[in-house]
Amino acid sequence: MAGSALRRLMAEYKQLTLNPPEGIIAGPIDEENFFEWEALITGPEGTCFEGGVFPAKLSFPPDYPLSPPKMRFLCEMFHPNIYADGRVCISILHAPGDDPMGYESSAERWSPVQSVEKILLSVVSMLAEPNDESGANVDAAKMWREDREQFNMIADRIVRKTLGL
Amino acid sequence: MPVTLVDRLPLPNLKVYTAGSVLLLSVAVYYALSVTSDPNWRANATLQRQGAMGAEGEGEVLGMVQPLAEPTLAAANATRNISDQFVEVMTFMMQEPLCMWTVINIAYCALALFGVLVQRAVFGRLRVAEAQRLKDKLWNFVFYKFIFVFGVINVQYMDEVLLWCTWFTAVGFLHLLGQLCKDRFEYLSSSPNTGKWAHLRLLVLLGGIHCACAGLFAAAAHWGLPAGRDTFAFMFAECLLVFVSALHVVARYGLQAHDADAAGPIAYYTHLVFDSVALVVELVHVIHMVVYSNMLVSMASLVLLMQLRHLLHELQARLRRHRLYTALQHHMQTNYPMASKEEVEKNQDNCAICWEPMKEARKLPCSHLFHNSCLCQWVQQDASCPTCRRALAASGGSAALAAPLAPAPALRLPPGLEPPTVPHPNHLFHFDGSRYVSWLPSFSVEVTRVRMEPPAASQIDAMVRQVQAMFPQYPAGVLAAELAATRSPALTVDNILEGRLPPPPTPPPTEQPPPTPPPQAEVIESTSTSEPPPAAPPAATPPDDADALNAQEHIPQAGPVCGRFSGSAAAREASLARRKEQLVAAARARYRARRPASPAAPAPSTPHDS
Repeated sequence: MAGSALRRLMAEYKQLTLNPPEGIIAGPIDEENFFEWEALITGPEGTCFEGGVFPAKLSFPPDYPLSPPKMRFLCEMFHPNIYADGRVCISILHAPGDDPMGYESSAERWSPVQSVEKILLSVVSMLAEPNDESGANVDAAKMWREDREQFNMIADRIVRKTLGL
Repeated sequence: MPVTLVDRLPLPNLKVYTAGSVLLLSVAVYYALSVTSDPNWRANATLQRQGAMGAEGEGEVLGMVQPLAEPTLAAANATRNISDQFVEVMTFMMQEPLCMWTVINIAYCALALFGVLVQRAVFGRLRVAEAQRLKDKLWNFVFYKFIFVFGVINVQYMDEVLLWCTWFTAVGFLHLLGQLCKDRFEYLSSSPNTGKWAHLRLLVLLGGIHCACAGLFAAAAHWGLPAGRDTFAFMFAECLLVFVSALHVVARYGLQAHDADAAGPIAYYTHLVFDSVALVVELVHVIHMVVYSNMLVSMASLVLLMQLRHLLHELQARLRRHRLYTALQHHMQTNYPMASKEEVEKNQDNCAICWEPMKEARKLPCSHLFHNSCLCQWVQQDASCPTCRRALAASGGSAALAAPLAPAPALRLPPGLEPPTVPHPNHLFHFDGSRYVSWLPSFSVEVTRVRMEPPAASQIDAMVRQVQAMFPQYPAGVLAAELAATRSPALTVDNILEGRLPPPPTPPPTEQPPPTPPPQAEVIESTSTSEPPPAAPPAATPPDDADALNAQEHIPQAGPVCGRFSGSAAAREASLARRKEQLVAAARARYRARRPASPAAPAPSTPHDS
């Protein structure tokens, strides 16, 4: 089990290293354990998260491509689809069987043809366009809807914090 | 349970413990020496021993301590050499309770030292998870064996307790080592760069465990058999359990070396055999205990029954999984043929599940190819094509062929996914009131579930063009997403006119009703007049396909930081760290360039911390 997961992760790591998508870097934190990765995601241009570099941790299950990894931002985040503890709530990370919110069609959920790269790209697009219906962070969702100014301000503070400025 | 309690006990560390034990032992030995050199005691002891020899016939229990006492007959001579003296001291210490405890203590101390030695030699530092697991196992083991010794065997004499303790110490030690090997094996096989030595050491240790198991078998035969068949069976089962679990790890090594793929039939049946043998042996063992102890209302039997229940449950689950597996195999074999050679060659692509090249592949009705084993594992979780998400059973044809999948939904499959093959069951409720009272009305309710195939891309394109003709300001991407949800240009147009679809991005949508109202409710309501309700609610999360993203991200700001993929782990780690630093530094520079005044800015934003 673990053997094939390992080979697949290695292949993905290689692909992400040789051919990285714009503004995204990902790889195992420590190669002793290939099932814990750290990713850096650059906030998408033209959004309130523009310019920030957000670190996140990906934890892969031993049966990896069959079950999705878990993703958690390591920095402070304020976003409708990110829980206060940094966990990311997007449909691509949900196993086909479980449906925590009860409304996703299985077509958007995890399948083994997805990959780390696709997850991270989805997260980038989630940063750009929050989905304020799945309220992982209700405050953020509300503010995103009602007080965009303040939301942008908080986002900017987070961006500066991740850059160490 | 017992674990939490013991965690709080202040256990001394090994150094202190060893030092204390050695000190105690030396005190005991000194005491024994001084007593045995006393002539009065010597005369006394000889007399006693002769008496004991006479009575030996009746005390079977004492038989094991006796061999130590026998050679001391020679010590009756007045001339004492060193070995005699040693034997004498030993005898004395075995008789004197306090001294005996120190000897037992030093034996455990030696065992602990040996264990640490093995750990240092084979495993190096234990990982936290391993240590925790070990601790849990240890206290569990102690707990159950305590129940066994005092609840089942119901020992009466101290000697018996000691003998069983010795036995279980040996068994437990091997058991824990085996567990550690298993954990470590799993860990090693999840890391790409572990040296051969680590594996070799582990294998040597496993070999050692097997040898020790053989020794235990011999011990069980030697001491257990004379004590009765039950005792022998108990001891034998213990050995067998340790043996099987160690052998399982070796078998996994064998499979790995053989490069058998994880879901292939060989690997599967190997695991099945080992799992079920271990479970059956343990089950029989526990049943034997319950029958043997023959008292149904005591704490011990309660614990045993609980364990029995757990084991039965495990076994059942294992067998159910096996049934599902065979059913799946059968289903796949009959419904999805292996792809022909030409098809595989034409395909070129790797298997989308494991990303490895395919020599042979299974072909789904949607003509996507996968490794047989990869597909098999996935289908156990979800009966759909991993690539296009088409429900699998749907194209299987007859309901009879899909029948083997029937047990699946109970386990894993989400209810909505599995039945589509069968012509949709119409949930029919018919109330015929006139059967009860003549004036009651009769009515029937019929629910039809229709699963709609998502429209093909070409259809969507056509619809997009249609709508875009009316509303050119909407980008095609937005319209496509909306159309994928509504499936009807008319509905989309309605949504646009009523402002449910957010206007194109240029003016930031600040004060408008929620961009997309709860889609489910709205769509159902609007379709209720027309024909079938849509099966899938529209996209709930932002469109996560890469296309939309690429469109938006295609303005490159700097050349992507391509790394070389080195062969060595250290080089890879270093390059990854370097690339991360570069990324952050570049982002920082860009941020500064864009907003040079940023240091002044932080003040207003701080109060908004929530």
